[in-house]
Amino acid sequence: MSSSTKAPAGHFTILYFASASSHTSKSSEFIAAPLPISKLFPKLEDQYQGFKAKVLDSSLVTVNLEYVDIPDTPTDDEFIIKEGDEVAIIPPVSSG
Amino acid sequence: MPSEISEENCFVALTTDHLDAKQIMDRILELTCPGTTRDNFGGKPVKELEYTSYEPRALQSMLTICKTILEKHSLTSIAMIHRLGVVPIAEESILIAVSSPHRQAAWKAGEEALEECKQKVEVWKKEEFGGEEGGVWRANRDGAAGVRVEKGEEERPAQGPHGPILRPKVPGERGHGAVVRPNAL
Repeated sequence: MSSSTKAPAGHFTILYFASASSHTSKSSEFIAAPLPISKLFPKLEDQYQGFKAKVLDSSLVTVNLEYVDIPDTPTDDEFIIKEGDEVAIIPPVSSG
Repeated sequence: MPSEISEENCFVALTTDHLDAKQIMDRILELTCPGTTRDNFGGKPVKELEYTSYEPRALQSMLTICKTILEKHSLTSIAMIHRLGVVPIAEESILIAVSSPHRQAAWKAGEEALEECKQKVEVWKKEEFGGEEGGVWRANRDGAAGVRVEKGEEERPAQGPHGPILRPKVPGERGHGAVVRPNAL
């Protein structure tokens, strides 16, 4: 887990867990900021084909450890991911 | 060293060490709900499990669950600890201990804490079937097979001379349900 690695200037960190990590073959990477939250899944789908249907559609997203809503279409007041943020893709959990 | 948070009679932790029921029960003595790892999924033998976690987020979720349940059932204290990394079959993966003036409330609280943990805590389980079949990420939500990690043959139990090899159950192994510890009652 590289959650302690700091993103370079103008980027945020995205963490991949479980099936998200398997699909991307990465545990984390840096993406250019700022990014409106509604653009996150389309951007990841461009990069990793099939990611949305296989993983993202059933996942939640946290930004700096708090869950955020992902709007279907861009809105004026939507959440913007900022430089230095820690974003995580949270697939369905399976503790216990 | 485990990552842990202790706050207002709630103790939560994530660790790669063996779960030590005695150590937890010494802290909080009344009753425990340990969950041991299951030896098969849908008849397929599982060799071992591997748990990963988004640790800071998972600890927050565990603490929120513990605080809610502590208040709801008027408990004295509650502890929840989850093991991470590779967990061999039949070893404990989760341990919840509650302390309460009333036994009934303690049982209910223990069961509820386990259910909430399985629904919400950001820990993921990969089941290793052994051989070249790779592992599968499990999802608690629907109990359906998760996402295959590696490409390989269709998953099926290893074939012995008399059919599939399924490890016999260990006495006292009961999936993830509450296990009675007579000396704790």
